[in-house]
Amino acid sequence: MNASTKRLKILVAGVGGQGALTAARFLGDAAMAVNLPVIVGQLHGMSQRGGAVECSVIIGPGHSSHIGDGEADVVMGLEPLEAKRSLAKMSKHTKCVVNLGKIVPFSLAMRGESYPELEPILAYIRTVTPHLYTVDGPALVRQTGISRTLNVAMLGAVAGLDMLPFGHEVLWQAIEKKIPPRFLEVNRRAFDLGVSSVSQ
Amino acid sequence: MSKKTLDPLLVNVAGHSECLLGNEAIVRGALEAGVAFASGYPGTPSSEVTDSFARIADQAGIIFEYSINEKIAVEMAFAASLAGARSIVAMKHLGLMYAGDPLSTIPYVGPVAGLVIVSAGDPSCRTSPNEQDQRWLGPMLHIPFLDPDSPAEAYAMTRFAFELSEKSRLPVILRPTTRVCHSRAVVQYGKLQEPRIGGFKKDPSRFVPIPVNARRLRSDLKDRVEIARDLIAHSEFIRVAGEGKTAILASGAPAGTTADLLTDLELNGKLKFITVGGVYPLPEDRIVEALAGVDRLLVVEELSSFLEDAVRSLCARHSLAIEELGKRTDHLREEFEYEPAQIRRAIYQGLELGPEPPPALEFETVPPRPPSLCPGCPHRASQYALRTVFGEDSLYFNDIGCYTLGYGPPLHTADALLCMGAGFTLAAGVARTTGQRTVGIMGDSTFFHSGMPPLLNAVKENVNMVAVILDNHVTGMTGFQESPTVNLVGDQFMREVSIAKVAEALGVRQVETVDPYDLPASLAVLKRAHEASGVSVVVFERTCPVHFARETHATYQQAVYAIDPSRCQTCAREDCGLRCSQEICTGFERHMAQARSLESGELPSNRPKEAPCATQCPLGLCIQGYTGHIAAGEYRAAFEQIMSRLPLPESVCRVCHHPCEQVCVRADIDEPVAINELKRFVIDWAHRNEQTYQPARDEMHGKKVAVVGAGPSGLAAAHDLILRGYQVSLYDAAEHPGGLLRYGIPDYRLPKEALARDIDRILAMGVEFIGGRRLGRDLHPEQLLKEGFDSVYLAVGAASGVALRLENSEAADAPVMIDALDYLNQVNSGKEMAKAHRVVVIGGGNAALDAARTARRLGAEQVIIAYRRRRQEMPAIEEEIKAAEAEGIEIQTQLQPQALCARQLQCLRTEAGDTDSSGRSRPVPIAGSELTLACDQIIAAIGQFPAADLLAEPGIEREEGGMFIVDAETGQTSMNNVFAGGDLVPGERTVTDAIAFGQRAAWGIDLSLRGQEAADGHRIPPRPGSAEPAGRPDVQRSDTMPRVSPAELTGPNRSEGFDEVVSVLTEAQARAEASRCMVCGLCGNCRTCLDLFGCPAFYVKDDQICIEPELCNGCGVCADLCPNGAIYKVSS
Repeated sequence: MNASTKRLKILVAGVGGQGALTAARFLGDAAMAVNLPVIVGQLHGMSQRGGAVECSVIIGPGHSSHIGDGEADVVMGLEPLEAKRSLAKMSKHTKCVVNLGKIVPFSLAMRGESYPELEPILAYIRTVTPHLYTVDGPALVRQTGISRTLNVAMLGAVAGLDMLPFGHEVLWQAIEKKIPPRFLEVNRRAFDLGVSSVSQ
Repeated sequence: MSKKTLDPLLVNVAGHSECLLGNEAIVRGALEAGVAFASGYPGTPSSEVTDSFARIADQAGIIFEYSINEKIAVEMAFAASLAGARSIVAMKHLGLMYAGDPLSTIPYVGPVAGLVIVSAGDPSCRTSPNEQDQRWLGPMLHIPFLDPDSPAEAYAMTRFAFELSEKSRLPVILRPTTRVCHSRAVVQYGKLQEPRIGGFKKDPSRFVPIPVNARRLRSDLKDRVEIARDLIAHSEFIRVAGEGKTAILASGAPAGTTADLLTDLELNGKLKFITVGGVYPLPEDRIVEALAGVDRLLVVEELSSFLEDAVRSLCARHSLAIEELGKRTDHLREEFEYEPAQIRRAIYQGLELGPEPPPALEFETVPPRPPSLCPGCPHRASQYALRTVFGEDSLYFNDIGCYTLGYGPPLHTADALLCMGAGFTLAAGVARTTGQRTVGIMGDSTFFHSGMPPLLNAVKENVNMVAVILDNHVTGMTGFQESPTVNLVGDQFMREVSIAKVAEALGVRQVETVDPYDLPASLAVLKRAHEASGVSVVVFERTCPVHFARETHATYQQAVYAIDPSRCQTCAREDCGLRCSQEICTGFERHMAQARSLESGELPSNRPKEAPCATQCPLGLCIQGYTGHIAAGEYRAAFEQIMSRLPLPESVCRVCHHPCEQVCVRADIDEPVAINELKRFVIDWAHRNEQTYQPARDEMHGKKVAVVGAGPSGLAAAHDLILRGYQVSLYDAAEHPGGLLRYGIPDYRLPKEALARDIDRILAMGVEFIGGRRLGRDLHPEQLLKEGFDSVYLAVGAASGVALRLENSEAADAPVMIDALDYLNQVNSGKEMAKAHRVVVIGGGNAALDAARTARRLGAEQVIIAYRRRRQEMPAIEEEIKAAEAEGIEIQTQLQPQALCARQLQCLRTEAGDTDSSGRSRPVPIAGSELTLACDQIIAAIGQFPAADLLAEPGIEREEGGMFIVDAETGQTSMNNVFAGGDLVPGERTVTDAIAFGQRAAWGIDLSLRGQEAADGHRIPPRPGSAEPAGRPDVQRSDTMPRVSPAELTGPNRSEGFDEVVSVLTEAQARAEASRCMVCGLCGNCRTCLDLFGCPAFYVKDDQICIEPELCNGCGVCADLCPNGAIYKVSS
């Protein structure tokens, strides 16, 4: 948490349809549950149509949902290129969790190009922050069985960083409230796998 | 309230907190103010206001509607206010301008119960075509204006706004910007208020603003504005914090950002921070009071200097000496939402806080990921079909909705865009101005919103336009709001008010409705609309699959499709080395895809991979390649495609026997494509436009080849050998090169100038021609090798015909006999010929036809072709036979010449016997069937054979019939470094086959002299074995179109001279004819799905196009248009 402002700034970056908005909202609900002021920015615009989506969660006293350049304390990158796209918001103090599952931008397909190699993307992010944590999303999805658990697994990973001003269970309870009962178990598994993926 | 889960917005506990979106906070504020009526039209970023009302209206006991448009929404809310109901109406900034008419009079009359207009602003144009600063509407229309800085303030302002509205008797505009609308923050609740409706109490002198009333209402507006000013001044929305000589005045969303920055910079309390949430009427006294003792002021507001100017005016009027900083002093920019860094810079610079923080770092760019139409979106299918039929040159006018995404690649269906409903108006305006038939595009909601009046207007003026309505049963872009009059019945969405009927009622005569997933039907409907005139309406109707899945709980994914890599981007002729390396343009791809879409029958994925025409072409030309380029108008590319394989284009495009056309699949539908005429069109285009093309050429490496015989085979070999870096000497017995092309084929088929262009081009490449040297007399292969040639190609033609022996040839007055080749040679050499009146030509091949037609041109009154077999067995090109008949030449079949008598030829009739080695029936003379043909000249054209001495070369093995034995692939004879072709070897006797053999020999020579790698580095001629005829696909097509034929000379101009008979297709004819090609073979360079369709489920991995199964929704449209038939359904 940024010492001077006592605010924790979390950026959620992903692709429309990955659940970035929902994930940001869960973080906001969890903060509220422990009576912390929170503001969540979800200025998705037209990007829900498969475009890039960026949400902010700012926990602590404040008015605006803006995260300025270099100000993110945590970046939750639901997709490698989207994590790279949000580099401007990162600093050497930022903890960045990246899902390794790739979604090919259609702009590449139109040019006949493949998705770039993963390792150089991660190496480039490391030039800004050494605190890079990767989550093998596709493997997690294989383990849990449904792809829609990805954002919950990533929330688990963010919780696993132990940066949040509330415990894992507070976040889980916020998630639990909004998930249909039949999907609870699979999401809990995803959440736990996410937690353990960063706490090694 | 029902037992179902209580909506968080309806929790009636004071002090309860929820984390609400700014838009939801507004709804909660309204509910706490006892709102009884809500209306609106969806528009980002305002939509969650109306969406929330839609969700809770019943539970909350309030009246709600999504109005058809914003003007109606505002009028409805105003009416409700007159009826004594506190009312709220929500829309985005653009919608408020649409409602400008009622809006400008409402303040005069004033609401009865509180009227709050929520009009969300969109700085940075995130989802809008402009970012207007609506605050100017306040002073312009006398409307109090509130600008919240956060969701919590939006909540509080909404409650306050109703009170403000009622006390001032003015409507109030609440203007949250995207940052506030779409941020979620903690809101602490008060108590809900029951909605109340007071009822409509008549007061015509107030409610009817006829001029006399309007003037009175105008007079008291000023007082009402002052009431509002006072209320705002004493509200919680004007705040002053801190002390100091420097001050910041901020308003709206940037006030929140500024407050956070002051905390971050530890400036809280060290300067005066004035927040102004009520921006009109500005509480001037409060501001003046707050500015006391301030000497420098930074004004932070987005979009324009509204407050900055107001404060400057205020300071002037109150003689306050304050240095005011902001947009006017370039400390802040006018446009777009402010990032914290911009405000921070302004604070540092303006308030002189010391060195600024360093600028942001620059990072590598990341591939863009703009929004796109979802996989399976019906708007993609419909706009793809639209572009296919209306083409690149039509003008498309798009509108506001998901389909606006058709703007970008690959659909490109937006040449202009303005506002809701303008798609039709722009199309009509441009159509009226330019006379072009234009296309207007809009969705169902937009059509009802504001598309009906422009459609009626277009009908009134009989505008030449196509109005396309994309009906997906929902207002998609703004978050799946209802589309007017659509209801879910069972699991189907039904529209009560039919768009087609509305269009008909508006007077449109041609209205058709089609399912965009049905590509062939869509193309057919659009074609009819394209060809019509006046106003046509096409309604594409299919429920948005995302909406459908959400509402019916069906799965969004109906099926999954995949790509067969053995067909995708596969050239079936690659293995024979025949793949071209051409770039194909989108016009070409569109032509291919359209051909595929219009077909039915055998599944595309089961069809043969090779086009029959290509496998039958002796030269291995990719026929669908150049016809595709012609169809697309890309003549240069077609020219290159042809020239990369064809050494004698001018000749071949006139005299080729085109075996391709015999196997053309189009013949099964109507008639074969006029392939050779299309080739001629391109060659002619290149000649007229001085286009030249030479395939890649190797460096000269010093090796020498002698080519003996300068007919088509020798010329082709010489051409290819030069390209392969050989020094070539070309010998011929005649004075000039050309062989059969020059001396055998008459001018009316192949004019000398055209032939000269072929020959000159080859000679200009550096081939040395030496005439007057005859094989067997002046030249011998062994001697040539001794002279230093590394290899020799013997390509001599059969200069004379097989002698015809008839009885009684010495008879008095017997008709003169002449061999067809000698005859043609003499005529083509310009020799004066004795005039014959009645000519009989014996034979059925091309030489016979050439001789007969020549005889006609030389003045013979009667020309008869006598042929032994049946008509269908004549080896001549069918067009030649027809042309001869058209010139009055009589063809008598099943006649066997027997004897000559005075001015007569005696013949026997024949009948068809057993099949012989050529696959034809043997003609068997019928005893006693004698008949005579009167004639004074007989031209014998019964076959050709090289002179015996040509074949008498020692050391070269010959077969029984006397021809040289050669390797069929290379032309290699039994003698080292000696190759042979032309008429010296067995094989087909056509110009095109001779050229093919010449090319093969050039490759064979290269193979023997430089090895496989070098030889295969150039185009490899098709091997004889590769010409297995491909199976013809069993295909039906939804349209037919007759073959287009070029114009021909007629009358005496034709039969009395040697001018070229067949002219070239016109450009329009060529494009139409080329578009008949059904593209039967796979194309290795195709990227149609990516270049034209653009479904985001497609991606490329290691150069292979793939479909992401997670994203595919199984609409199957891609499978219908894939030219290669490579896309197939995996599962459903």
